[in-house]
Amino acid sequence: MNDHGIRALIVDDELGIREGCRKILTEEGFEVTTACDGIEALEIFENDPHYSLALVDLLMPRLGGLELIKRLRALDPDLLLIIFTAYATIDTAVEGTKQGAYSYIPKPFTPEELLLAIRNGLERQALALEAKRLREEREKRLLEVASERSKCSTILKCITDGLLVINLEKLVVLRNNSAARIFPKASRQSVPFSLSELEYPKTDELIDEVLEGDPGPRIVSRELAIGKNTYMVNVSPVIEPGGETSGAVAVFRDITELKKLETAKSMFVSMVAHELKSPLAATEGWLNLLLSGLAGHDPEEERRMIERSHLRVRTLRILISELLSITAIETGNFELHRTSVDMVEIVREAVEAARENATDKGIDLTLNELLPEKEKTALADREALLLIFSNLIDNAIKYTAEQGKVTVQVAQNGLYAAVSVQDTGIGMTQPELDKVFDEFYRVKNEHTADIPGTGLGLSLVKRLIELHQGQINAESAPGKGSIFKVEIPLS
Amino acid sequence: MTGTKPSILLVDDDIDFLEMNSGILKAKGYRVSCFSDADQAWQSMEAEAPKLVVTDLMMKSLDSGFSLAKKIKSDPRFTDIPVIIVTAAASRRGFDFNPRSQEELEAMRADAFFDKPVSPEVLISKVEELLV
Repeated sequence: MNDHGIRALIVDDELGIREGCRKILTEEGFEVTTACDGIEALEIFENDPHYSLALVDLLMPRLGGLELIKRLRALDPDLLLIIFTAYATIDTAVEGTKQGAYSYIPKPFTPEELLLAIRNGLERQALALEAKRLREEREKRLLEVASERSKCSTILKCITDGLLVINLEKLVVLRNNSAARIFPKASRQSVPFSLSELEYPKTDELIDEVLEGDPGPRIVSRELAIGKNTYMVNVSPVIEPGGETSGAVAVFRDITELKKLETAKSMFVSMVAHELKSPLAATEGWLNLLLSGLAGHDPEEERRMIERSHLRVRTLRILISELLSITAIETGNFELHRTSVDMVEIVREAVEAARENATDKGIDLTLNELLPEKEKTALADREALLLIFSNLIDNAIKYTAEQGKVTVQVAQNGLYAAVSVQDTGIGMTQPELDKVFDEFYRVKNEHTADIPGTGLGLSLVKRLIELHQGQINAESAPGKGSIFKVEIPLS
Repeated sequence: MTGTKPSILLVDDDIDFLEMNSGILKAKGYRVSCFSDADQAWQSMEAEAPKLVVTDLMMKSLDSGFSLAKKIKSDPRFTDIPVIIVTAAASRRGFDFNPRSQEELEAMRADAFFDKPVSPEVLISKVEELLV
C-alpha cells in the first residue's frame, strides 16, 4: 500500500461528501482530516501543515474554495490540491486550476474516480518534488562551484609568490597580483597576453624547456634575477587527465632576503675563519722561527718570541669565548643571572682590575663616583657587567698613548645608571665610529698595528648591554680621544 | 752573492708577521724595511728602492695586497720587482685566493703566493729564487 500514511485534508460543507471520502481514503491507508469550510481548513492547516493533499469543494460558506486554494498554495507550494465541483461550477473549477489546483473531480463521482484523480495527482506531485529536489541540488552545487572559484581566486591573489599559468600558445592565461608586481612591464595587460610581453626572455626559456621537454610531471627550478630581486622560479607542466600537457605553471618565490642572509653568513664564516687563523698562524710562525734557530739562540730573544706566541694564543682563546657568547646571545641561549648589583662597586672593580695596565703605560686612570647612595643598584648579571666595563676600560687604555688620561664616571640619568669611559687616545673618524660595534671590525692604521684585539669585544659589549635593556653610544674624534656612554636600568 | 744583500720591503698589518718575517730575512743578511700600511709602503717605494716586496693580502681592505702588487707591476719604475703575497685568508665565498696555475698567479700580479705562516725555509728559498 503505497498510499499508507499519506495525509489528506477534505474540505466540503456537505457532510456526506466529507464522510464518504474519509471512508474511501481511510480504507486505502490515507490519514484523513476533514473541515466543513475554508476557515476551518485554514485553521487546521496553519496548526499542522504536514499534508500531502487537500480535496476542496468550491462552493462553501464563509471562505470559498477558490480563495482557500489560493491561500493553501501560498502556505505550501508543493501541496496537491484537487477540486470537487458540480457541473454548474466547471468554469470556476478551471479558474481553480489556474490558482494552483492540480485537477478537478466533477460531482457526483465514484470511489474509483476519486482514487484515480488522487493517485494521478500524487504521482505528478512526486515527479514535481523530485524535479524540484534535483533543481535545488544543482543550484546548490553551482553555488558551491562558484564559491570554490572565488575562494581559489582569492587565495591566488593573496599568495605572495608570483604565479603565471601559460598555455601551449605561450599565452599567459592566469596571473596573480604578485606576478603583476614582478613583471611591471606587463602589469597593465589583461589576460590572456603573450608571454613575450613580460620582456623577460629567461622566463620564456624556462617555459619552453617545460613545454617542449619530455611529457610527464616534473619541476624545472632556476634562480633568476628579475629587476632588483632574486627569485627561485619553479615551472611545472599542467597535465590533463588524459596525460597530455596543456600548459605550464610558473611560481616565482622572492629569495632576495635569503640570498642576502646567505651572503652575510658566508662572509661571517670566512671572517671568523680568517680571525681564528691569523693568531694561530702567527703563533706557528713564531714557533717555526724558534725551531729553525735562524734568529740565533739568544735566550732573551727566544723568550720574546715565546711571549709573543703566548699573547696570540691568549687572544685566540678570548676570541673563541667571545664568539661562543655572541652565538649564545644570537640563538637565545645566553641567560643573564640577574642579582642586585651595586653599580658603583662593579665599576670600581673594573677600574681597579685595569689599574696595573694603566700604571704600566703611565696613563692616569680616574673614577668619578656620582651615583647617589640610595639609587645605585641594578638588577643585572654581575659577570656580564664586569665584562662590559672591563672591555671598555681596557680598550681606552689600549688606544691611548703613554701619559694619556682615562676617566671613568658612574652617574645617574633618570631611571638609568650612566657609566662613561673617556680617553685622550687616538680617536676615530666618523666612518670608523659607524662600524665600531660590528663583528671583527678593527680600526686599522699606523697607531693600531701592534694593538692586539679580537674585533669582537665591542660587538659582545653592545649585545650584553642590550640584553640588560640598556644602551651604548660612542663619540670620537681623531687625535682627540673617544667616549663610550653606557646606560643600564636601575632597579 | 757579493757585497751587501738587497733590501726587501715587508708589508703586513699584523705586527707579529712583520717582526718574524723581518727576523727571518735579516738572519739571512737582507736589509728589511717594515710597513703596516699598504699606502705608506707604496709611497716609500722610491726612497726604499727594494729589490723585492713581501705583502699581506687583507689589510685595510680585503684586497690591499692585490692593489699594492698591481700598482707596483703597472709602474715602469718598479715593474721588475718581484712581489710575494702571504695571507691568512684561505678563501672567500666562491673565490679561492690560492692560485692554481701560473696564469692565475700572474693575474694577481704576484710572483709567489703563500698561506700564513710561511716557514723560514720556504720564504728564504723563494726570495733567493726570485732575486737571482
